[in-house]
Amino acid sequence: MNVNVTCDTLAINQPLSRTKGYSLCLLLWLVMGALVPLLGHAEDDTSDAYQVLRQQVDGFAEVTPDRPFVFPDDHGPHPDYRIEWWYITANLQDEQGKDWGIQWTLFRQSMDAKPVLRGWESNQLWMAHAAVSSPHEHQYAERFARGGIGQAGVLSANRRRNYQQPFEVWLDDWVWKSQTASPFPSTLSYNIGDTEVRLNMRSSTPWVLQGNNGFSQKSGKGQASYYYSQPHIQVEGTISHQGQHHQLTGHAWLDREWSSQPLAKEQKGWDWFSLHLESGDAVMVYRLRQTDGKHWLSGSWIDTKGNSVSLASTDILLREKDYRWVIVNQDKPSQAKKVKLPLSWEIEIPRLDKRWQVDSLYDQQWMNTQFPYWEGIVKVQGSDTGMGYMELTGYPVEIIR
Amino acid sequence: MTELRWTLRALLSHYWRHPWQALFLLSGLVAGVALWSAVQVINAHAKASYEQADSLLGAQREYTIYPKQGTSIKQASYIKLRRQGFTEIFPVIEARVETQQGMLLSIIATDLFALPTESGSTGVAVAGDNRAWLDFIQPPYQAWIPEALANQLDLIQGQQLLLKNGDLLPPTVIRSDAQQGWQILLDIGAAQALLSRDTLDYLAVGPVDDERRQALEEALPASLSLVKNQQALNLTQLTDSLHTNLSAMSLLSFAVGLFIVFNAVRFSLWYRQQTVKNLRLMGVGLNTLAVALLLEALLWSVIAASAGLLAGYAISLKLLPTLGSMMDGLYGAKMSSELLLKPTTVFIAWAMTLIGLLFALSLPMWQVSKQSVIHGSQLSSKWRQDKVSRKQLGILSVMLGLAAALLYPFIDSVLMGFVLLGLILFSAAWLLPYLLASGLAAVSKVTPKQRPLLRWMISDGWAQLPTLRTAMMALLLALTCNFGVETLIGSFRTSFTDWLSQRLTADIYLREQRPEIAALIAEGKSTGWLSDTHARMEMSTYWQNRPADLRGLVPTAPDTQTLPLAKAIPQAMQLWNESDHSEPWILANEQVHYLAGIPLGGSITLDTVNGPQVFKVAGFFYDYGNARYQFYLPRQMLLKHWPQARDSGIALWVNHLAEGEKNTSMSMAEKAMLKAGFAPGDWITQSRLRAVAMDIFERTFTITLAMNTLTLIVAGLALLTSLMAILQERLPQFAGWSALGVNRWEQLMVILIPLLLFVTISWLLAVSLGALLSWLLIHKLNVMSFGWSMPMLWQATPALALAVLCLSLVLFSVAVTHWRLRSQLPKALAQLGSTG
Repeated sequence: MNVNVTCDTLAINQPLSRTKGYSLCLLLWLVMGALVPLLGHAEDDTSDAYQVLRQQVDGFAEVTPDRPFVFPDDHGPHPDYRIEWWYITANLQDEQGKDWGIQWTLFRQSMDAKPVLRGWESNQLWMAHAAVSSPHEHQYAERFARGGIGQAGVLSANRRRNYQQPFEVWLDDWVWKSQTASPFPSTLSYNIGDTEVRLNMRSSTPWVLQGNNGFSQKSGKGQASYYYSQPHIQVEGTISHQGQHHQLTGHAWLDREWSSQPLAKEQKGWDWFSLHLESGDAVMVYRLRQTDGKHWLSGSWIDTKGNSVSLASTDILLREKDYRWVIVNQDKPSQAKKVKLPLSWEIEIPRLDKRWQVDSLYDQQWMNTQFPYWEGIVKVQGSDTGMGYMELTGYPVEIIR
Repeated sequence: MTELRWTLRALLSHYWRHPWQALFLLSGLVAGVALWSAVQVINAHAKASYEQADSLLGAQREYTIYPKQGTSIKQASYIKLRRQGFTEIFPVIEARVETQQGMLLSIIATDLFALPTESGSTGVAVAGDNRAWLDFIQPPYQAWIPEALANQLDLIQGQQLLLKNGDLLPPTVIRSDAQQGWQILLDIGAAQALLSRDTLDYLAVGPVDDERRQALEEALPASLSLVKNQQALNLTQLTDSLHTNLSAMSLLSFAVGLFIVFNAVRFSLWYRQQTVKNLRLMGVGLNTLAVALLLEALLWSVIAASAGLLAGYAISLKLLPTLGSMMDGLYGAKMSSELLLKPTTVFIAWAMTLIGLLFALSLPMWQVSKQSVIHGSQLSSKWRQDKVSRKQLGILSVMLGLAAALLYPFIDSVLMGFVLLGLILFSAAWLLPYLLASGLAAVSKVTPKQRPLLRWMISDGWAQLPTLRTAMMALLLALTCNFGVETLIGSFRTSFTDWLSQRLTADIYLREQRPEIAALIAEGKSTGWLSDTHARMEMSTYWQNRPADLRGLVPTAPDTQTLPLAKAIPQAMQLWNESDHSEPWILANEQVHYLAGIPLGGSITLDTVNGPQVFKVAGFFYDYGNARYQFYLPRQMLLKHWPQARDSGIALWVNHLAEGEKNTSMSMAEKAMLKAGFAPGDWITQSRLRAVAMDIFERTFTITLAMNTLTLIVAGLALLTSLMAILQERLPQFAGWSALGVNRWEQLMVILIPLLLFVTISWLLAVSLGALLSWLLIHKLNVMSFGWSMPMLWQATPALALAVLCLSLVLFSVAVTHWRLRSQLPKALAQLGSTG
């Protein structure tokens, strides 16, 4: 049972994914904080890969309640904190009414509590994930870059200086760029192999501060993050896929989160949902799975105007309806792996008198990146109908023998 | 079947009783296979490395982006291309640094994040230590050093190497990655910090299709150009001759090994004559006997091939660092520091052993089979036989000699050159027994009649000759090659040193031309330490599908005016300096003459920015050790045809007002350079440059010398084993003599005197043959392999050294023989009556 998970067996072999042999192993340390030797923990490789989120490192800024959020400043990076992300998901429809989805994320990690921002010696490392779920096929890719040399980063306006700096998030030519200091309206463009995505995004509703005024508690032991979202983003644009151009429209969701230690030691992973309902309302719930079974639940309900209601653990009932196996590296039998995932759910919020069935649009939406997880389109039925995105992390990947 | 089994058992049981014979047989086979397989492994390894030359750390490198002017690319240009989506591009810095001990080290640096590694390729493996990544890219960084290089530098994990200029390399991590070769791998940030620069040397481009390449070309700024990588092809072509040379040397040692085997097989059969006779008397047929002997050969071949391969692998491990640094120095080829033994090598080694063994077996077996079951006096029949085989060998020798003479006018390739050498060597080897016999006859003729003991000692040579014959041939081959190669290297060293002192006349060479140089020259002229300068330009291109360098020289510079030319038309330099010809004159290195076959006055067509331009060769200059073609043009001419040519350093002549003042003006010059903003690593002094050149030279020949010595050892072994055989064979005779009252000293003389005579004749032949060999190597093979010529210098020292070596070998063998004689004689004496 103790199987060596070498870099080879973790290799990603989706034909369109731009996998880098180097990066393969890179993330092993990225996600492990370079402290826990991962090799030799096959059963647990995914959950262990999230060690970086649990690890406490002294010297970084701490996440404390009642921090005032200031925009546009907070759209930019917070290098005093260890990790941070700019996370976009979108549910889209083409002219035939078929469902599409995209995910685009830039992660920042600070390798040291004392941030070095300039030059090759910068300790700010950037990782980008991108995915396109066409009606039939899920494609993804990841990229890495060092900060300090201009290859990747986030530029944002600041009240004191650069107050006209247009907002921009990029790694190589994967770019989310606004003409103004505000993140919206903006364009998002990237490619995965020869699939090219170019989307225009706009939004007019206020930012939603998650948790307690943006202080999002992750456990009873002080683990927390700063977390704000924009759930109402109107999207229109094109995806050219296999030589065909598709005109798409739909809704996107932006999550901004930064922290120095978002996970507690006994938390194995999380299940996260962002749902766009046909009524125009939006809902977000997540569950941090604890080894003791006392899972940490949180969420929010956002109406069409952008007014939000925070949902506490007691407000949310989350039930797995069906576990299904997802085969990873199907096209490379020697590296094939499988992971058992809850791909069918029931979400109930008694306080709002809501109950939804949430199902994956299709099961093969596994991100076999260095940081492996499932992220993809879900259908919503029940009290409302709608579409959404689901993220499942920390489930053990097993090697098929 | 049973008959065969028992026959085989009877035959093999011989080796239990005479284990030393098994040892001789094996030593010959193993020695031959070991050297051959060592070279095979090294050659295969080198070729595999060339194939990977278009890759870097597992990432393929199809194209390279170079600056059109200057030597570096701005980092901003790289980032701009990445942000345009060219993720196939990764940045590289290559540099050389000098250790405190003056050793030059190659550094290669890149950004591991940016490497476009396809899934499935090797890439940099994380060897269990995930922390490595972080530390590699973050200050204080790490220097990833291959184990063999770390051993050479005496570096341990975590240690920082101190450089000549006082800088420290990042902490050492001992590990080696794909295509790293003998280079030190650094993060690009570490390299920039170490070299105090903020630019890149070039950008490597991973696999791109035509469309993508076109897009990239369009996206490139005007200052950069995209060049297809041809390194693998180039290296294979450039190093071809070198590998042929190595192969030839290894085949030679295989041949020497075969001589020993031949000897050993003959002895073992000769010893088993009684067994064979008994077996045949018992009714074992000749066929069964032959099959049994073949099976025996098969058994030996398996044992010997395995042992030989093991030894060969060990030798190649030893030779690899030398070859690695030599390939880097000569061709810029990066060889990985790990070896592979391929199944084909193993199989061929075994097949060669078997075929060699069968070849060695065939003649003695044929003799055994012809042998009558009952025959008369062994010794006299053997002498008669020997005379016959001498004659046969002599005829063969003359035939081979004739073939060599006929072949000589037609040799035009390295391979044919070696065939010619082989013919000559074997012709001489087979003539040797005849020469030895004639020598012996001549000496016995002049020996005074009134010295019967001496006459006996000399004529005992006839009894030794059949046994020693083959060993002498092996010795001759080894001595000849040794002397030939020594002469070649000696001649080369002298020519090279002379050439260096003619060529390197400037006192200081600045590696790079920078804006500061103008101020430095002005300062030097005004304060008087500077007497002359020469700013050269250079340009890399292709000519006849091989890489070629163009150099722009200032015609008035001191070293241009004293440029040593191997061949030149009258007034070559004057014509070369005139630029108003439609087909301007050009100078080319000898390689152009010999490898490309361009005659003096011949035409060279080069691609210029204005299309092809024809040049005519005014002269050929010596260019030792250069694997590439090189052309010299006046600086203005180069700039006219290739405006993109770049500065390639500047030579400075320091004013020596009076003899004793050289140091003063040198230190003035160094101070001035430091003041002008140059760092100590930016220039190199003449003496240092000369030392580096000699170092590369020595490295080039280390491997040849090593193989040469090994061959000689093999031949020494052959001589020793033969003497041991003689002793064993003649033990009853020695016992008889002892019984007759011949004392031990006289017995020793019986062995020693004919042996000395034989060795002297072999040595004389080897020295003259060696001279012929080196003449061929210098005037034919070297010119064909490397494309440069030099005068041959015959030196007495190596010949005398070989004489001393031979003498010691003889004395050593005789001493061992004597010692064995002492221990075995009493037993032989006791058996004297019984076997009679």
